[in-house]
Amino acid sequence: MTARLIMKMNVVDVRTTGEDVRVLTLQHPRRPLLPDPSPGSHVDVRLPDGKVRQYSLCGDPGDPRTYRIAVKREPEGRGGSRWIHAHLTEGAVAHVSAPRNNFPIAADAAHHLLIAGGIGITPLAAMAYRLRRERKRFTLHYCARNPARAPLLLEMRTICDDRLHTWFSDGGAACRFDAAAALADRPEGAHVYCCGPGRLVEAVRSATAHWPEGSVHFEHFAPLGQDGFEPAPFEICIASTGRTYEVPAGRTALEVLRENGFSLPSSCELGVCGSCECGYSAGTVIHRDVVLEPAARRTRMLLCVSRAEGQVVLEL
Amino acid sequence: MSASWRGELLHIHIAPAASYEMEELAAATVVAGRGIEGDRYFLGTGTYSKLPAVRDVTLIEIEVLDALARNDPPLQEGPIRLAPGDHRRNLTVRGVPLSHLVGVRFRVGEVILKGGRLNFPCKYLEQLLGQPVYQPLYNRSGLNCSVETGGTIRPGDRITPL
Repeated sequence: MTARLIMKMNVVDVRTTGEDVRVLTLQHPRRPLLPDPSPGSHVDVRLPDGKVRQYSLCGDPGDPRTYRIAVKREPEGRGGSRWIHAHLTEGAVAHVSAPRNNFPIAADAAHHLLIAGGIGITPLAAMAYRLRRERKRFTLHYCARNPARAPLLLEMRTICDDRLHTWFSDGGAACRFDAAAALADRPEGAHVYCCGPGRLVEAVRSATAHWPEGSVHFEHFAPLGQDGFEPAPFEICIASTGRTYEVPAGRTALEVLRENGFSLPSSCELGVCGSCECGYSAGTVIHRDVVLEPAARRTRMLLCVSRAEGQVVLEL
Repeated sequence: MSASWRGELLHIHIAPAASYEMEELAAATVVAGRGIEGDRYFLGTGTYSKLPAVRDVTLIEIEVLDALARNDPPLQEGPIRLAPGDHRRNLTVRGVPLSHLVGVRFRVGEVILKGGRLNFPCKYLEQLLGQPVYQPLYNRSGLNCSVETGGTIRPGDRITPL
């Protein structure tokens, strides 16, 4: 998890789509241009208790002045969507992070197959806007029980025209999306993007098992925060000397190395300043900082907060 | 040091909690031993609130921001425009030699601050801004101060040695 700016944004429009989904349009009181809302991104919405919920941006990513999220009311959920439905009405202020994109459009794909289930339409709606604007080849398969359970349906009809295929299961077996049949043959250069309930994701995953690695993309929200993290002991091996050091559960790698005579820079010792960043060449690292980019995490770690499973080999 | 300088307070910014965008104030209440009312370090909700070092109020020189904007020194691809507030320090000042004020008391309007340690840039700021500010802010990312005497400050206030 990397750090992102949190903005207080005005809820300037709220409308209902489908049975239990509200679409919120957010605008910044002072910033005419918002941080890049690239298609597939999500934002964090902060709740009053400090907890965070992630929502994909579902508006036109070509409009840098507003963000739009769609929130389905989940009566049996953890309470975030109920709070948002009750309190984030027009004129309210929402605490929203800058976007992050774990689900980007593949730039080199020749054909984009978007597969949405219900509220899973949100990141794919933003993608449809962008693909249409850039005149890319795409198809949107939209699955739901019935049209009332398909948020943003009218909008998607307008954006996608005949590139939209709807699958409403209330209509019977013939109306169900058959992932195995739809994805049996991979059109040259095609990429699949899927967001929806677990059953749909699993069907798409198994139907694309024979597709090349990297051509099938799923949006899944990783758990946030550090709730319940229990530090466990691990071992450090210094690549240049082969010497090993035990890090007990209650101590940090930085402390143990310093105690053993290593002179290492550090400043905040909270995983935020980046001073104690160092390379590693082997091992499974448990990253607990907020500064390293996902790509950097494969070879770099912060010694002050991050840990490892078993042994990690450090390139000091 | 000699009382040869005379500076000005240009902007006041606070953020209610870690990572929150900074907000500009037309006037701020500064409380001795705590900081600026409403700011994350006053409230104890800042990224670094858990650290022992003093951080009641942070200052940065507009001259540093101007240098970044003209890519001086050229450590990165091009100029970096860091608006006051984006840097996440509370007070943006002109004509104040901050690196001379470590351990020194000085006046901002009716408030008296004491220089603590020089501020150190952090990768966290780069992440928040999406701009490569770590290197260019090295050794000039401002001064962390404690508040000795509180009061109200406003942009335009004189900053003077004691």
